[in-house]
Amino acid sequence: MQPEKVKIHLPGGWNMPPLGIHQYLALMIVAIALWALGSVWMGLQATGDWVGAWQKNMVLHVYLPQASNDQLTVLKRDLQQVPGVVTVTSVSHDEAADWMQQWLGQGVANAALMAKHLPETLVLSLQADDGGRFVVGDVRETAQRVGASINEDEVRLLGMRDVLNKAAYLAWFVTLLLGLAMSLIVSNTLRMILLARADEVYLMRLMGAKEWFVRMPFLLEGLALGAAAGLLAWGLLWPWVWGIASWLENVSVNLNIWVMLLPLLLGGAVLGCLGAAVATARLESPDSVDV
Amino acid sequence: MTERKIMMDMKQLMLRYPTGKIALSGMNLTIEQGQFVYLTGESGAGKSSLLRMFYGGLRPTSGTLQVQGWDMRKASEDDIRSLRRRTGVCFQNQRLLFSRTVFENVALPLHIQGWKKQRLIARVQKVLDYVHLGDRLWSYPEALSGGEQQRIAIARAMMATPPVVLADEPTGNLDEATARHVLDLLMGLNHLGMTVIMATHDLHLLNSHPGRVVQLHAGALVGDSYAA
Repeated sequence: MQPEKVKIHLPGGWNMPPLGIHQYLALMIVAIALWALGSVWMGLQATGDWVGAWQKNMVLHVYLPQASNDQLTVLKRDLQQVPGVVTVTSVSHDEAADWMQQWLGQGVANAALMAKHLPETLVLSLQADDGGRFVVGDVRETAQRVGASINEDEVRLLGMRDVLNKAAYLAWFVTLLLGLAMSLIVSNTLRMILLARADEVYLMRLMGAKEWFVRMPFLLEGLALGAAAGLLAWGLLWPWVWGIASWLENVSVNLNIWVMLLPLLLGGAVLGCLGAAVATARLESPDSVDV
Repeated sequence: MTERKIMMDMKQLMLRYPTGKIALSGMNLTIEQGQFVYLTGESGAGKSSLLRMFYGGLRPTSGTLQVQGWDMRKASEDDIRSLRRRTGVCFQNQRLLFSRTVFENVALPLHIQGWKKQRLIARVQKVLDYVHLGDRLWSYPEALSGGEQQRIAIARAMMATPPVVLADEPTGNLDEATARHVLDLLMGLNHLGMTVIMATHDLHLLNSHPGRVVQLHAGALVGDSYAA
């Protein structure tokens, strides 16, 4: 009979070997790397959410200095014909003066007097899926024909989508690079374990074990190590998000941390399997059957 | 009289290592089922190389070698695995897994063949009783003496009741009394019907444990007799 306190760990097949210090160290390293990746993608998600929120209502200001009514009418008409421009509205001098007065503070200056010297202002609302890249070009060209200019600071903000796309490209590159590094860490850990269990592998082969039977525990170990690291990394994302929760609320960004669970878990498992496959690719023993 | 099955049959067997060294040459030998065969000879005579060829650890360079019906020059990887499941092997240094219990060590051959845990426990207990170590089922090998460790190795070799047991100097590191006891166990396996082939230097054991003596010298067969 098997005593209660004795646990049987038969080598080979579907049996997972007991975890040791090397596996725990590898687990921590891979979890930290996966956490870093998770953070990068969460950051992109937050930025995308933030940019998306105000790009739904893209606006652009066009300024026409010292204009006659005819020039303003022509500009307004031409701008309305630009594809992607939804509305064109004029900002009156009174409206500008009110806004300026609020901005400067009551009694600081005579905003109405200052507003008279401001250029005529048109506010354009845009609709464009590409972040307004082509619409802005057309608007700028139309404005320049009558000596008007557009607010270039707003144009730079409209180009934020491009920046985000570049950041996503970089994030994929970093993901690939870190993924490779993590696979190598798992692979190296398993190589050390393989060296420590060389006798076990030798004996199993000597007794006629099939190759899948010999290799399966190491593949399972890689899989478990990667998946556990992914889960741990996901758990470590929570304090990160809790820490910036109030700031996210201020900028109206809703982060969904649950969408990261499956990618981290499966990604970790795949990386672990890949590392195990690399580690066991050359698993030689004396007296192999293929001599 | 019934004809005995031939377990090993070699004709003009030659083995050359990749380094160019010729380990065996011109070997002609037949071993029948149920024989107890001592392979003797000086170090480097080719005893261990011959034993390794009997379980497919080395393949012949030329000549023919039939082991338990398999042609060892043509045997596939699956054939070699099947042969190994029908062959028990003991080494001078036992090659036990020291991080595993006696049970886990002895159960390995049948675990590989798909036996379940509860069935294994009963079988290992029975085999350990045979080698008089029935009370050591859950011990670790490091807690055992050299003789006990060798008996565990014999228990592991006989676990799957193979038709052939190969022993490479199993008494090499043991005192005479313990060596005799180990040899008693191997003789016992032979009486159970297993063919035992044992490489040894301990020629004095032949007086108390008779068997067929195959003598090798520099990779060639120089003697084949029965010591009674």
